[in-house]
Amino acid sequence: MNRDKLPQGSTAALVLILGSLVWSLLGTGLQLLANTQLLVPLLDRLIAAPWFGYGRLVPASQFLLSYGWLGSGLLGVLLILAPRFSGIAFRYGRLLFGGALLWQLAILGGLTQILLEGPSGLIGLPQSRFVSILLIFSFLVLGTGLTRGLGRSWKSGPLLPRLYLLLGLLAFPLGLGTAEALLRGTSAPGSVQIITQVLWHSFHQHLWLAPLGLVLIFQLLPTLTGRAVSSLNLGLLAWVATCLLGGWLGTVRVSDGPIPSWMQSAGVLAAILMGVVALGNGLLVQNLTEGRWEEVRRNVALRFIAVGAWSYASAYVILAFLGLPWIRPVMVFTVAWPAFFEVFHYLFLGSVLAGAIYALLPVSREIGWPDSSALTWHFWCTTLGSVTTASCLLLAGSFQGLALNDPGVPMSTLASYLRPFLFVVIFSQAAWLVGQIAFSAVLFASLLKLFPAAAPMAVFRNPTVIRPASVGHMHG
Amino acid sequence: MKPTRALFIVLGALILTWFGQAAVGYWQVGRLDPVLNEETNLTVPPVPSGLAQTGARVFAAEGCLECHSLSVRGPSGSADLTRGWGQRRTVARDYLFREPAMVGFSRVGPDLANIGARMPETEKLMQHLLDPRLLKKHSTCPPHPWLFTKKPAGPKTEPDALKVSPDGWHQLIPTYQAKALVAYLQSLNANYALPEAPLK
Repeated sequence: MNRDKLPQGSTAALVLILGSLVWSLLGTGLQLLANTQLLVPLLDRLIAAPWFGYGRLVPASQFLLSYGWLGSGLLGVLLILAPRFSGIAFRYGRLLFGGALLWQLAILGGLTQILLEGPSGLIGLPQSRFVSILLIFSFLVLGTGLTRGLGRSWKSGPLLPRLYLLLGLLAFPLGLGTAEALLRGTSAPGSVQIITQVLWHSFHQHLWLAPLGLVLIFQLLPTLTGRAVSSLNLGLLAWVATCLLGGWLGTVRVSDGPIPSWMQSAGVLAAILMGVVALGNGLLVQNLTEGRWEEVRRNVALRFIAVGAWSYASAYVILAFLGLPWIRPVMVFTVAWPAFFEVFHYLFLGSVLAGAIYALLPVSREIGWPDSSALTWHFWCTTLGSVTTASCLLLAGSFQGLALNDPGVPMSTLASYLRPFLFVVIFSQAAWLVGQIAFSAVLFASLLKLFPAAAPMAVFRNPTVIRPASVGHMHG
Repeated sequence: MKPTRALFIVLGALILTWFGQAAVGYWQVGRLDPVLNEETNLTVPPVPSGLAQTGARVFAAEGCLECHSLSVRGPSGSADLTRGWGQRRTVARDYLFREPAMVGFSRVGPDLANIGARMPETEKLMQHLLDPRLLKKHSTCPPHPWLFTKKPAGPKTEPDALKVSPDGWHQLIPTYQAKALVAYLQSLNANYALPEAPLK
């Protein structure tokens, strides 16, 4: 494919990627601030303003991280990848640019609304209806660009990324559109509203974000390792299972209450089966990376994507664990669930997104990455920061769950159980933030061509494992 | 696999998921009606007042759900009833008139599904909103001073002024949002029996 035709959509991709970096820093910063407030209650007494309250900072950070960082970033890298799927360059670059700008405006609008007016209280929909409409409209513009030529070139490349792309692209507008219509367009009874919220939450996490992450894994891992997926049938089975089970995973978070018990049982079953499905996909990833550890160690993009792929399997194994019938009643209202989302968002999607940016941006913008220690800082700070946060939250969740189920433990004591863990979580999140700042610095410096790039592909500085043949697959 | 077949599978799975949960859910719990309480001769769950419905939006906007749930679980596998958070488990019918319907997934603080029964006093609730540490010394719940306006005490005290004063010569008057939020919290009282959830 002629690269000269590519920049049509690459400006839109750049807007989405740069926006995602800004939102990731801001979103994690707000989360850090909220956790610090929980640890040091004096903070919210010093600045007594509604926008600074814990109850607004947390939903604002969650909104920024899922729609701003991951949503925007994944769409951005897919805009670079899509012309390579189809071999057809984007024709309406300005329209895509408008769509990308509109997405950023929607995120900014959502953030302002949540901080100043407060969240809506709906699960997965803290933003106002107006912001949702902006997101849907922008997504339709970007999604139309992404699907251009997909059908005609269906057999010209790997099948699994195309299948996951199709799932992700259809799930978002269908899920958000119907959730908005049912929740804010009609006056559905309360219990039905909660079912709809949980359903949209499942669509959002497991049928939109996760499939977009899997597109990148199954497209970039084979490209970077030079291997094909070992069992297409296993991959297809996992894809069909994701389509069928993904929408049921939200109900596993509700214990008793407004949702019928058969739906909760279906959620438990779906969570356990999805754990098996993720292990199946993990097997495919294992076959792709086996014996290539030197390249995984050396190539930044490959290492991030490999970590992301393994974290995908880990996230769904954690979900299956939390859904086990004898674990679920203990863990359901605890911080063990944020531990799952830490692995899911930061380690799986965040790592895959970072790896994809390292792999794809040089192709799109004709830039290279420096042979810089900032790459090492990025990898270790973000990965170790997220692993420590998730481990701490999982452990804290176990204590919290056991204490909640012991009526002899007063609630005030329970909060004190969480403090030491919260302390470590704050440091781990700060470490993640340092890593992401290092990444942002390298990215901006590369885009501005502030220093000469040592290698077109990002590689870690390690003189003992220099293998020139292992880099540059994406440029072939 | 052909693209049309893939499209068919994705659309089929998404529609099946929506139908399986939203449509079947509506058919199962969306058509529930209030029931007559023979002791009081009133229907339950009660329809909340307009002020309480406004308060539900204030509750959502202040982000109380980030720490509190609104659902009491039954005796099997949970200590919710033993903790005194309610006299029975919460069921779908309890959410009949909730707008917006909220459930909450976090319990850094206690469950509030029955806070109206546990703490019915307006003054106590107001003081908790102003500063939770006035009532519980080690509370981690954040204060909400912006829900109150500060006025000089003067010779005459406002009828709805709080009994606590920040400095002795000012009085704190609850805003409309504070009154609505307290009305909502007081409306969270499920101490009535339902056919599917009798009182313990």
